[in-house]
Amino acid sequence: MATQVYRKSKLRRALIWGDVRKRRLGMLAYVLNRITGHGLVLYLYLHLVILSMLAGGPSSWDPFIALAKSPAFLVLDVILIAGWLIHGLNGLRVTLTGLGIGVRSQKAMFVGLMTIAVIGIAAMALAVFSKG
Amino acid sequence: MTLEIPLKIFRYKAGDAAPHYDTFKVQVAETANLLDAIEVAWAEHDRTLTFRHACHHASCGSCAVRVNGVERLPCIAPVAQVWPGQGELLIEPLRNFPIISDLVVDVAGFFQRMLASGLVITRTAETTLPLNADAASGADVLKPQAVVVADGLSRYNRFEDCIECGICISACPTMAATDKFFGPAGLAAIYRARLESADKAQATRLLELVDGEHGVWRCHSANECTESCPQNVDPAGAIMALRRDLLAYRFKKLFG
Repeated sequence: MATQVYRKSKLRRALIWGDVRKRRLGMLAYVLNRITGHGLVLYLYLHLVILSMLAGGPSSWDPFIALAKSPAFLVLDVILIAGWLIHGLNGLRVTLTGLGIGVRSQKAMFVGLMTIAVIGIAAMALAVFSKG
Repeated sequence: MTLEIPLKIFRYKAGDAAPHYDTFKVQVAETANLLDAIEVAWAEHDRTLTFRHACHHASCGSCAVRVNGVERLPCIAPVAQVWPGQGELLIEPLRNFPIISDLVVDVAGFFQRMLASGLVITRTAETTLPLNADAASGADVLKPQAVVVADGLSRYNRFEDCIECGICISACPTMAATDKFFGPAGLAAIYRARLESADKAQATRLLELVDGEHGVWRCHSANECTESCPQNVDPAGAIMALRRDLLAYRFKKLFG
């Protein structure tokens, strides 16, 4: 006779991935990559929806362009750039370690690449707001 | 000098609607380890408390639990180090395993995966307990494979560093999402078995065993397994090395 065991529901177990409390840098990198990945996929769909406005001609497109130049929208642009840089640079680290390269220095790689990301984000933010 | 520590321990017995927590105030010597405190809770407060323990010196791996959310071996965790001096000390079973009773988890699926490497494991009784191992863990029962080494001592070959504690499984975010993942310990054992094996065909079979959506490719490089391991197993390193070996193997197959 099988013994009764206790398991949390599949949904609650799956949500454990987001729990970074008392976890180390590698786990933080994994969660960051997951969040930015989801964000970029969402952006992709939004981008397609927005581009479809082109089919509506100037009356449909021009109001959007006016909105795109607003400060709130520029902040969203900077967040998008941050997502690209973080996901892309961390993705480089994941690719290298996935090939067995630099596995033992994965933490140092993460710190170094995220420093580059932060510098990149700051530079892009400056460019976005100075032109906008 | 003695310390009085409030242990908040996860409780579950078969038939309970849901788990709950009990708090026990235990008195232990300042130099005691956490396992000593758990034993005092059992001896002096509640004899129905179930937990695993054997060697008391980080050799058997059976006592692994989570302490304030962090995986540890309580037999070598000094209470003075893990308890901040105030507040309750939370003791919970390992994550990503079905819970049988209190701090005791069902490790059958875990040990079946370890057996697949062909290396000797110590807790052989726990591979075939009459539990819902296959249904709960989702693991296929893998047939053990004999690892032949050059000097013929295969039956003594054990993955020396790994104490089969399951801490890496508990720390792994992929194991949380799927029971079918081979897991850090199993993959590290396969990697070690390949290094030990003098039989090339066997080494290739082991590589093919972990080439799949639930093998090495399911790992998301969180590295929490290596960080949490109380020994020097480096499962993350082993998984990445297996990936490298797999890519070289596939490349050779493709281009001869």
